[in-house]
Amino acid sequence: MAEPALKLDKLVKRFGTHAAVDGIDLAVAPGEFVTLLGPSGCGKTTTLNLIAGFLAPDGGHIQLGGRMVENLPPFQRDLGMVFQDYALFPHMTVADNVAFGLKMRKVAKGEISARVAEALALVKLDGFGARRPNQLSGGQRQRVALARALVIRPTMLLLDEPLSNLDLKLREEMRTEISSLQRRLGIATVFVTHDQGEALTMSDRIAVMRDGMIEQIGAPAEIYERPATRFVAGFIGSINMVPAKVDAIEGGAVRLATPAGPARARIDGVSAGAGVTLTVRPERLKLGPGAPADAVAWQARVERVVYTGARLEVQLALADGSSAMAEATNDGSTRFTAGQTTTLWFRPEDAWVIRESA
Amino acid sequence: MNKGPWTLLKVTVAVIYLFILGPILITAAVAFNGTNRSFFPPRGFSLRWWGEAFAPQWVQPLMFSLELAALTAVIATAIGVPLAFAFQRYDFPGKTIVRTITLGPLILPTLVTGIALLQFLTVIGLGRWLGYWALLIGHVIICLPFSVRTIAISLQAMPGSVEQAAANLGAGPLSVLRYVTFPIIMPGIFAGMAFAFIHSFTDINMSLFIAKPGQRPVTVAIMSFLDFGFAPTLAALSILSLLIPLVLIAVLGRFVGIGNFLYQEQGRG
Repeated sequence: MAEPALKLDKLVKRFGTHAAVDGIDLAVAPGEFVTLLGPSGCGKTTTLNLIAGFLAPDGGHIQLGGRMVENLPPFQRDLGMVFQDYALFPHMTVADNVAFGLKMRKVAKGEISARVAEALALVKLDGFGARRPNQLSGGQRQRVALARALVIRPTMLLLDEPLSNLDLKLREEMRTEISSLQRRLGIATVFVTHDQGEALTMSDRIAVMRDGMIEQIGAPAEIYERPATRFVAGFIGSINMVPAKVDAIEGGAVRLATPAGPARARIDGVSAGAGVTLTVRPERLKLGPGAPADAVAWQARVERVVYTGARLEVQLALADGSSAMAEATNDGSTRFTAGQTTTLWFRPEDAWVIRESA
Repeated sequence: MNKGPWTLLKVTVAVIYLFILGPILITAAVAFNGTNRSFFPPRGFSLRWWGEAFAPQWVQPLMFSLELAALTAVIATAIGVPLAFAFQRYDFPGKTIVRTITLGPLILPTLVTGIALLQFLTVIGLGRWLGYWALLIGHVIICLPFSVRTIAISLQAMPGSVEQAAANLGAGPLSVLRYVTFPIIMPGIFAGMAFAFIHSFTDINMSLFIAKPGQRPVTVAIMSFLDFGFAPTLAALSILSLLIPLVLIAVLGRFVGIGNFLYQEQGRG
């Protein structure tokens, strides 16, 4: 494999006695889009600031393209960064903002204007060069910030929650735009967000962070469908989690005892008697008749039906009184009413077992 | 909507304006008296008091005040910029004490500061400094809080990410200061300088104790002349003294955009 664009090796950053970043290992391949996802205070922004050089690590190493950089000041790291508040220079025109990095690199004047024009075209802001940042909309400022970061042809792009200040519609547009731009330029990118939707749609890989550590790293589908911990499972999307105990092992599958009823699921490497958590995504839970022979089927009572248009969220009470949620396509074939008793079922391959007890 | 409170507010504002503008307008009118007494409404019409206001007796203290205020403003700004950076950006031992002392003159009566400085210079044997140098020191002391505070506010209002962005784009610490930080806080620096200038120009409490005869600011000169009654000359002179800071503010406001700093406590980001 080629030299990774970025490599973090046991990175640590403490504020007082609190370790904001507590031993992070991460490698980003050239051209790869990696998202650091987590709740506020999980250390994702601190990690980004360590990579950018705004903070000095208390331990570990940072390599950019094979070069150790943890002792280099930010202005020698050759990274392009987009800030949450865009951080445009208010006293400069759009063109001067974009040209700033090139001026600092002492690029010739003629080349600067050519590259600024090219960068503004890249973010579809041709002809905006003479404006001031305060004459632009939020989305346009965002694009200027992106152009300013890309024009220096950085070894890597760092994005610090760049979409969180935009309204919903614009946010979804910029999502696609940043993604396609990143792919077209093939630039390795670290993206920080607390928005799981952004993480799932934009990333090649997602690193879910918690308390200064990476809890799980993997492709979006892996993170969503095979979460390693209860935290990851609960942080991304909705999920039903049922405490379970391994009853018996039958080949590749295990028989589980849960308060809601017996179940079967696939998992390797657990022994009988172990406490685990059985998880099923709401869209994989089915209601009513039609369960195949090998399905897990439990009795449940419909508590409430939430109508969201294309989908119905059916809130259920299980045999032990705990609640669960199923999501059904609103295709007209099913009607649920609160209070009705129904069969809830899922195929063993639609369940996922986490090796953590509740 | 209930109109009562709005009417009350409008009346209050009108009364406040009346008491701010009324005296100024009356003084301006008095300066055009045709007699040598300060009548209002003026009796007759004459420009001779304006001519007298430009006599050497008054021009000299006026120029002295201008010079003192300009020098005070420059020195207060030169000290104020690094102090504001230190207070805003760094933690150092004794920071609270240093800041309290620096900003102290804002809450201490200037009269007390003036007497204290007079005593102090005499005690430490620098009594011969009394006069110009002591006056300059005194004015810098009382004007420094204005420049420090205004510059600190403009630094605070600047998002930290702007400097990080500059560093990220390849600017070393000095380039960040030169191309980003200073241009952004420049209106604050000029506003601080203007505040210091005006505060020095209008001061009488400090000058009263420390100025020497022959080196008197215009405020002290006016005060001394008041012993002989309020002549129309003083009215003309007062209006002149009023116009100087107003013109300064207007010019700075036009070219540097200090308006935000004068009329609100927040700078632009």
